[in-house]
Amino acid sequence: MASANGSSNPTPTEQVRALYEQLESQVAQAGERFVGSEGFTAVLGQLAENTAALTKLSADAMDLVLRNLRVAGRRDIVRLARQLARTEDKLERVLQEVEELRDDLVHEGRTLRERDSDSSSGRSASRSSPARAAGASDQGS
Amino acid sequence: MLGTLARLPRATVEFANILLTTPDAAIAQTPRDVIWTHRATTLYRYRSKCREHPIPVVLVFALINRPMIFDLRPGNSFIEYLLSEGFDVFLVDWGVPGEEDADMGLAEYVLDELHWAVRETLRAAQAEELSLIGWCIGGTLCAMYCALHPGGAVRNAVLLTTPIDPSNSLYTRWVGNDEFDVDLVADSYGAVPGGGIDVANKLMKPVTNYVTTYRRLFANVLDGKDPRASYQAMAKWLADNPPFPGRAYREWITWMYRENRLVGGRMSLRDRRVQLSDVDQNLLVVTAEDDHIAPPSTTVPLLDLVASADVTHLDRPGGHIGLMAGSKAKHEIWPEIAEWLRDRSDR
Repeated sequence: MASANGSSNPTPTEQVRALYEQLESQVAQAGERFVGSEGFTAVLGQLAENTAALTKLSADAMDLVLRNLRVAGRRDIVRLARQLARTEDKLERVLQEVEELRDDLVHEGRTLRERDSDSSSGRSASRSSPARAAGASDQGS
Repeated sequence: MLGTLARLPRATVEFANILLTTPDAAIAQTPRDVIWTHRATTLYRYRSKCREHPIPVVLVFALINRPMIFDLRPGNSFIEYLLSEGFDVFLVDWGVPGEEDADMGLAEYVLDELHWAVRETLRAAQAEELSLIGWCIGGTLCAMYCALHPGGAVRNAVLLTTPIDPSNSLYTRWVGNDEFDVDLVADSYGAVPGGGIDVANKLMKPVTNYVTTYRRLFANVLDGKDPRASYQAMAKWLADNPPFPGRAYREWITWMYRENRLVGGRMSLRDRRVQLSDVDQNLLVVTAEDDHIAPPSTTVPLLDLVASADVTHLDRPGGHIGLMAGSKAKHEIWPEIAEWLRDRSDR
């Protein structure tokens, strides 16, 4: 490692830093081996379960207290939010149906207009033909 | 040595200041419009001032952490980059699910939220096809969506560090056995706290995440560098961990890590079989050499399973997040992705 002043000898600071980084790297590798071990896996699984169970117990207890006080608890609010979410699900599906119907109507309207313009141009063409013929006959006469 | 010692007090104060003011860092600054919302999900649109490609790009992130990683900070934002390359960009944000969203499973995310987001994107962009870019679990959801809609609206699919066959991963060792009661965790919480999942992710590389990151930051400050902007943006994003809806969590752990259903063709969403062999979209698979969350070995099996005629695989140096959000990404992987998309985004 080159020192800051460009000489090839590392300064004491750089030596300390390099030694520390080497140590940290070795500890990191050991740490990664450790977290991959069966013992760690078992402890992690149980810790997650314990934490979840404790959270549920405390939430249930708190809910019971609030319910006895005639105050809406977390569970009541979640129930309300769930009903709202269900309503939103239905609304979304209705909205999509409406949008599809609107698209169909627009498409149908466009088709009808095109058909109308085709038939009107056909009519005007058929109407203009005698006129042109008349014109031609006028010119001819 | 004396100089370093003299700088130590000031560096310590600055180091502490960087850590303490991280929540104030500005991330996700690119202007955007809300196109559609449903429950916690929001579809955003970022408008390009120089749109060149008629096929819009839809970004889908994982169910853990927030999708702001796609738009980390000005000058280092994948969205900003795609916009400058002329793409019309949409982003699916799964939001912050609560206990009321405990009934959201993988089927709801793939068949409802993602499907509807695709529909709304096509309507908003007035396009008939689009490109999907999924990252991590978002990539898996995109792969499932593509498998369920072959010949559909997705023309191109880009899967970034995506777990497909996690049978040999550390996660499988942790949660793939009976010692971890996934039902108890999912039922107790309703929405599994993101903080817990974050701790598990960090424990995969404990020393690197809990020591090296801070040591490097301190060393940079001590050396007179200015790591504030880059560190704070990433740290703020990492600390934002939305809950994982209970049902989706249970299904993800059971179907992916315990039963490995996706690769075996045994994954079903609302009685619709998800067969990766039905994926026929143009496919770009990006893996990161040093990814410890979705190592390349968990993604590569996909390449042999899909029916796509156009399959590209990029394996690049980097980690799960660093590959796409690191300081080198702008000059290395982003141009490669943009070029791949550009060649496949004309009418």
